[in-house]
Amino acid sequence: MSYVLAKSKNPDIQEAGECGGAVTSIFKYLLDENIVDGVLALSPGDDIYDGVPTFITDSEDLIKTAGSYHCAPTMFGDIIQKYLSDKKVAVSVKPCDIRSIDELIKRHKINPDNIFTVGLNCGGTVSPVTGRKMIELFYDINPDDVVSEEIDKGQFIVELADGTEKGVKIHELEHEGYGRRLNCQRCDVKIPRKANIACGNWGASDGWTFIEINDEKGEELIKGAQKAGILETKSPSQDAIDARLKVEGIMIKMAKKNQDVNYEKVSGIKEWDRCIRCCACRDVCPICWCYENCELNKSYFNASDVPPSPIAFQGIRLSHMSFSCCDCGQCDDVCPMDIPVSLIFDKLQKKYQDRTGYVAGVSDDVKPPLYSPAKEEL
Amino acid sequence: MLEIKHTLCPSCSVGCGINVVSHEGDVVGTYPYKRHPVNEGKNCLNGRNSIEAYKNKLESAIVSNSDVDIDKAIDEICSNLKSKDSDKITVFCSGNNSVEDIEAIKSFAEANNYNIASYADNIVDIDGEVASYDDVEKASKLIVIGDVLYTNPLIGRRIIHAKDNGADVYSFTPEGSVTANVSNEICDSIDDVLNNFGDNLDESSVILFNTVNSSEDLDKIKEIADKANSKILPVFSKCNSKGACEIIKAQSKEEFVELLNDTDLLLVFNDDLIPEIDFDFGSISTIVSFVPCENSTSNASQIVVPVKSWLENDGSFVNAMGETQTFSAVIESDALGVDEVIEKIQNKL
Ligand SMILES: Cc1cc2nc3c(=O)[nH]c(=O)nc-3n(C[C@H](O)[C@H](O)[C@H](O)COP(=O)(O)OP(=O)(O)OC[C@H]3O[C@@H](n4cnc5c(N)ncnc54)[C@H](O)[C@@H]3O)c2cc1C
Ligand code: SF4
Ligand code: SF4
Ligand code: SF4
Ligand code: SF4
Repeated sequence: MSYVLAKSKNPDIQEAGECGGAVTSIFKYLLDENIVDGVLALSPGDDIYDGVPTFITDSEDLIKTAGSYHCAPTMFGDIIQKYLSDKKVAVSVKPCDIRSIDELIKRHKINPDNIFTVGLNCGGTVSPVTGRKMIELFYDINPDDVVSEEIDKGQFIVELADGTEKGVKIHELEHEGYGRRLNCQRCDVKIPRKANIACGNWGASDGWTFIEINDEKGEELIKGAQKAGILETKSPSQDAIDARLKVEGIMIKMAKKNQDVNYEKVSGIKEWDRCIRCCACRDVCPICWCYENCELNKSYFNASDVPPSPIAFQGIRLSHMSFSCCDCGQCDDVCPMDIPVSLIFDKLQKKYQDRTGYVAGVSDDVKPPLYSPAKEEL
Repeated sequence: MLEIKHTLCPSCSVGCGINVVSHEGDVVGTYPYKRHPVNEGKNCLNGRNSIEAYKNKLESAIVSNSDVDIDKAIDEICSNLKSKDSDKITVFCSGNNSVEDIEAIKSFAEANNYNIASYADNIVDIDGEVASYDDVEKASKLIVIGDVLYTNPLIGRRIIHAKDNGADVYSFTPEGSVTANVSNEICDSIDDVLNNFGDNLDESSVILFNTVNSSEDLDKIKEIADKANSKILPVFSKCNSKGACEIIKAQSKEEFVELLNDTDLLLVFNDDLIPEIDFDFGSISTIVSFVPCENSTSNASQIVVPVKSWLENDGSFVNAMGETQTFSAVIESDALGVDEVIEKIQNKL
């Protein structure tokens, strides 16, 4: 493992990038040298709160993907698995993205030789509609006037076109039911070390991206981009390295606290009685890949049984994949009935973790377990 | 090339946003559109399945069960139209069509003195202000008619929010249904729920319904809402029923059946009447369907003309709360739009 500070040598990318534009520059290098067929990243749809997954094949188009979308709780694992498995792809990954990709690699659903994973450290994402409401309510700002948003030093900060900034403490927002998604508040993997590199602002000086190089492929990415003349690097100071690790530790501690408070609520979840059995939670889950062959589609399950018994209905998925749940929160996001689905899956994975040491999408060289002792306790 | 594009769900009148995934010129899936203010990325199964209409697209026009090219089908339609008295010709459209298409259909019917009909879940005369989804969330009391959580989940979700905000929910919905499970009280009939709980309503209450049996039901709902100064929110099964009603007055089931009894030639735009209307459609001498993919009505039609599916179309819908929402095609298409088909017919009449 080694660390480097990096920034783009392309002024437009440096300007558009969140930190030093290193991620976009690495993508440009990979496309220009024909090392990948395309880059999977986000570009703005309706506005800055709307990050739309975009597959870029011409490096000229990369500029629109630069920057961090904190209000875009997207998931890339299933997109690659479903639609891009035959392509060489570079992809920007938050910890939950790379964790799902790692689980899909373990299931032979993604070929690791076909992908370059550029990690982004992640303090959490805010749902776009919540984000806009929150800006109206707590910042007294029209969300349409915001040109960019960031999460820094425990605050969610918005910037206006004239350069003025306003920040509100995240824990204040979350106390009032706004702020990061509930699963993000519990998420304790903040640096995507399974990606080839992990990029972030923690430990970075202004205008630079702090990069942790995680493996040989990551090393090649940095060297290649340098050699192509698009990336400039320097070594971070030991203080910067220490500061970054310290913030990571604090974030993990906060997440664990949120886990303790929230896992207790699982047995009290009453919301199952409004489940409409729409299977959106299953269909969006990056770990579930059986599709038509899913047990839940089998005829012995009475599909007209609405609401379904949670033990039978969610129980199937819990026993099939909860040990691999990466707490990405996609199931919560898409549930039309606002059922906190991820809480129970995440809790079970943590229980499994406590017993076996297996951290979903993080633990090395371990096949995803097919038998979970934790599931017996459901 | 993989592309993810925004559009609107066509499967009910809530007006949810949905992202459609296309890959190498084909529609391959959906993806949550979390920025959409109506549904924040949440879609029910019907909504997510709505892309099937594109996958099962009709490839060719059909005349008397044989594939023909479009112009042949148009000629056939025109000779049928010319051979019948205009008062025996009925043009039908519904909330499955966009505002722009309905306007084109209406002008076509009016220009040629054909009867024009529109039908919206037996709900007639619903112009005027209705409750917004925010009104539902903030309501102090809700009367809910129909299993709205199950049938229109993304309005159902607003009922849940209202409940979380302390609202009382009184419903006419089957016991054990998801709507019953979030209700304070459930009743056995529309009359019961209105009679028993109508007096509890106030100006921040809403009567929300996705079904009525008769125009008397509707009158009663309106009367009770008026008395308490509450709002109403009819939720339709088709995405643009509200928009359609604003252009063409919706008929009751009885009125519509009466008109069908007097029809020799029926032109159906983008709808499937047979499962919805209890009528002997075999008694109509010619039925023409303009549809993106086959359905029971097109199977019973003598002439079928393929038109653009919603995924290939641009236009606007008016959602249940009366908000106009625009949408754009997510995939290129060589199918004709309803307006183009109408133009072709009109030019040959
Ligand atoms: C939601 C979020 C939270 C973050 N939180 C932290 C943090 O707490 N600490 C920290 O050190 N760093 C954090 N980062 C990383 C940091 O903001 C920068 O993305 C990183 O330093 C790279 O900067 P850059 O200028 O090199 O990237 P750029 O050149 O600007 O490229 C960024 C790339 O990431 C893609 N991207 C943007 N948003 C997302 C998203 N939501 N999901 C997937 N891909 C996306 C873009 O499309 C682009 O390709 C966060 C990033 C995100 C997206
Ligand atoms: S689950 Fe974790 S990695 Fe994913 S968006 Fe939330 S905080 Fe970031
Ligand atoms: S169960 Fe939910 S939180 Fe866990 S991986 Fe699947 S979608 Fe993500
Ligand atoms: S998404 Fe929600 S309502 Fe749909 S099946 Fe899952 S838990 Fe039930
Ligand atoms: S509630 Fe209606 S508009 Fe929303 S996804 Fe379901 S069918 Fe579509």
